[in-house]
Order: sequence, then C-alpha cells, then structure tokens
Amino acid sequence: MIEALLQTLLNGAASGGVYALVALGYTLVFSVLGVINFAQGALFSLGGYLTYLLMGGRIGVNGALPGWGLPAGLPFWLALLLAAAGSGLVALLVERVAFAPLRRRGAEPLLALITSLGAGVVLVNLLQILMGAEGYAFPQESGALAGLPEVLMIGGARIRTIQLLLLLVCSAAVVGLSLWLERSRGGQALRAVAEDATTAQLLGINSDAMVRLAFVLSGALAGLGGSLIGMSVSLPGPYFGIGYGLKGLAVLVLGGLGSVPGAIAGGLLMGLAEALVPAEASGWRDALAFAILFAVLLLRPSGLLGRRTVDKV
Amino acid sequence: MNRTPLLQLQGLRVRYGNVLALQGLDLTVHEGELVTLLGSNGAGKSSTLRAISALVPTEGQILWRGGSLGGVPPHRIVRLGIGHCPEGRRVISRQSVLANLELGAWLRRDQAGIRHDLERCFDLFPRLAERRHQLAGSLSGGEQQMLAIARALMGRPTLLMLDEPSLGLAPRLVAEVMQVLKALHREGLTLLLVEQNANAALAIADRAYVLISGRVAQEGPASALRDDEQLRAAYLGG
Repeated sequence: MIEALLQTLLNGAASGGVYALVALGYTLVFSVLGVINFAQGALFSLGGYLTYLLMGGRIGVNGALPGWGLPAGLPFWLALLLAAAGSGLVALLVERVAFAPLRRRGAEPLLALITSLGAGVVLVNLLQILMGAEGYAFPQESGALAGLPEVLMIGGARIRTIQLLLLLVCSAAVVGLSLWLERSRGGQALRAVAEDATTAQLLGINSDAMVRLAFVLSGALAGLGGSLIGMSVSLPGPYFGIGYGLKGLAVLVLGGLGSVPGAIAGGLLMGLAEALVPAEASGWRDALAFAILFAVLLLRPSGLLGRRTVDKV
Repeated sequence: MNRTPLLQLQGLRVRYGNVLALQGLDLTVHEGELVTLLGSNGAGKSSTLRAISALVPTEGQILWRGGSLGGVPPHRIVRLGIGHCPEGRRVISRQSVLANLELGAWLRRDQAGIRHDLERCFDLFPRLAERRHQLAGSLSGGEQQMLAIARALMGRPTLLMLDEPSLGLAPRLVAEVMQVLKALHREGLTLLLVEQNANAALAIADRAYVLISGRVAQEGPASALRDDEQLRAAYLGG
C-alpha cells in the first residue's frame, strides 16, 4: 500500500515537474511581453525529436530520409542539453518571425497568439515531414541512464530510475532558473524589463535583448521537457508536445499568470492530482486536470499565487 | 559661448498621431549648466525629454557634443552619458531599493566606483539607506522620487534630465529635492530640469525656457524670468 502510494506520488511529482517546466516557459515570455507563446508545445515536441536523433535514433520509414541517423549516438545527458539549446535557438527564431515584426509595428499584442500558433503548426508539420507520424522509442543502448539500473528499490518500492532522474532534472532547472531570476544581475534586469520595459531602457538595459533571452530560456525549458518525456515514455508522434503545451497553459493559469512560484506549485498540484486517478480511469485524467483548473478559477480568479491586481498599464 | 554645446535641439518635432506635441523646438544646454524647461500640462516638456531619450519618433536634429543622435536606440543613449529620471518616478516596485540602484549602474563594470556612488547616494538621501532592503513599491511618494533620482545618478550621467521631480510632493520635500539638485549642479553636473513648479525651478536654474503648445515662448537667464511679473502671471500661474 505504502509502496503503491510512494510510486504514485513520484509519478505525480515527475509529470508535475514537466508541467512546471512548460508553465515556466510561458511565464518567462508572458512576464516580458504580456502574451502567451503558443508555439511552446511544438518546441516541446522538437526537443524530444532532437534528443532522439542526437542519441543516434534513426528516421522511420514514413520520414523524409528513411533509415537516416547520426553515425554515432551521444549519451542521453549530452543529447538532452544540446536538444534544450537547439529548442532555445528555434524559440529565438519563432520570436524573430512571429513576435518581433508585430512589436515593431506596434500591433495589438493579442495578434501574437495567432502568429505564434501558426509558427507552432509549421514546426510540428516540419517534424512530421522529416520524421513521419510514427512513434519512436529512445535508443536504450547508448548509456541512457549512465549505467544506472532501470529500476531502483527505495523503501521497498520499485521506482523507475528515469522517473527519479526526470524529477531531479526538472527540480534543478526550476531551482536554477528561479535563483538566476532572483539573484543574478541578468535576472534582475529581466524582471525590470518585465515590470517596466521603458524605464529599463532608460537605465541602459537593452529590452529587446532581454525579450530574446526570455524566448531562448523558455524554448530550452520546453525542449528539456520534451526530451524527458520522450525518454521516460516515448515519442508517440509530432503532436505529442501540443497536449503538454495545453496542460502547461492550464498550469500557468492555475498557478497565477506571470508568477514563477505559481507555475511550480500549479505544475506539482496538477501532476499529483492526475497521478491519483486510478489506472482503470486514466481516460478521466485530463478531465480532472481541467476540472481542478475550473474550480480554482471560480474561487480565486487570479490563480493560486497570482497577483490580485495587474500592474501592467 | 562658442564652444560646442553639450546638447542641442534644432527644429525638433514630435507627433502623436495627428497631434503635433513639439512644433520645431530649439534648445541648447552647455556643459555645467542647470537649464529648466517650464510650461503647463501638455506644453511638450515631457515629449522633449522622451525625444532626447529616443522613446518617441522625432523629426529635426538632436545633437550631443555636436554629433547627431538620429537612429541611436534608447539603451545606447544612456551609454553616451544622458540620464533620464522619468515622470512619475517609475521605480521598479517589485525589487528592493538596493536592486533599483544597482540597475541604475547596469552599464558600469567598475565595482569599486559603483560601491562609492552607492554610498554617495545614501549620503544624499539618508532615508534610502535605512530602507535599502525594502521593496521600492513600499516607499512613500517622496522616497520613490529620491530613489528615482539616485538611480539615475548611479549611471554617472554627464547630463541628468529630470521630469517633474516635484510632482505630488509636499512643499518641504520639494525644497529638499531642489536642494539636492542645486548641490549636484554645484559639483559640476549638467542638468535639464522639466518643471511645472516654476518658482522652485527658477530659484536654482541658470537659464530657463518657457514652452507653450510645443514651441518656445520665451527663454533667458532664470533671474530675468524670475522678475518678469507679466510672464509669471500669464504662463506660470504666479
């Protein structure tokens, strides 16, 4: 019984950690621009596929280059980091294409919802053309878990090692990012831009560069999430990131728009609640997730840790 | 004076949609001067400062040490030595007083110099020193104004532009702020002071410009404008 509970909690915390990553990505962009980057889910998919390829995975029969793969696979850790960096760079491209031209024209910020959604659709379709719509399992032979056994025994419970690693990587990313935002010079400047971009410019801060940095970081978080899910489950097809993107959006609203602790708390709450749904009722997971969102918003329209008043003018 | 002015505006125009906020403004600031820009609401005072900081599109010339500032983005203007303490204080309310001051020194890398200037700001405004770890948003209006001025000073500007630093302050605090500006001027800082409170500004300024509907209506030594009863009655509300 205890064993089952421990497993359930760990599963919940692990998927909650991934939700938190996605929600933090949204939060970064939202705090500097006041808009949601709807390409976030596509970047999540991209991260998973990049990691797959970097680990030496081959393109399937429906892909553009069937059977093609890198001559040698990288270890999971390295592939994970490179895939995160790659997703970050593509996020920068999304900013240049879908956000920057609108900003320069002083267009209604809501329009960026449409352009970023479009960028996301293009990205997912490119993945489909290149990789095909089939599912992929990560190559397990390239030292994926760095020599660790696939299952660990903790307190009598059988725990999948990858779940534990997933939780560790998510925690490290979330804590690292929070510390950077709170303590570092760059983090201070990013938060200053988030609060008042014009005044930040009057202090000599390049607000545009900070916006770009926010996109790179948010893309890297999404890519990290996609890689971890791909490793712990599989890549079911190019659209798999979209579901996580939507869940991350729910988490973002649940925690409170623009709040970093809110994104983390919301992610964990969502992941744990889902994990408590019994396996035989797993079809109800998403329903439960959005029911929680609905209930929280009825009671607290600004989210769990959101600010009651919006101080953006 | 035939040396190159520090700042020179020639035929400066600023347009918001169909409204011409500045209709060809000429203004000169020499190094070491305290120049004040007076006028009522909507006369174009803030637009002038926003134009110099490249926050709004402009027509006409803005010359800094004789060179054009055309096309220079706002964050580069600061690097040239033009500090801008904006209207309404605009402190970063969700960060501490100390963090606000550190952000003021964003472009600097001289740690020793930054520490020295931080102490100097705390000497100028002792209340900021007491509240250095508080969130800037929790300060009173007067304290926020002091923080905004101190933050601009942390960038070590050659020219400090201030947009209505006396706005919304109690008379005692207005006097305090003006005393600080006077002291900074005496130390050699060049200041461009936008004010509605003409009496306070004229009391410390070297020269003054009076703006009406986006044009210079009158300019001259502050002492002359101080004594011009007619002007004061007409434009400056006594």
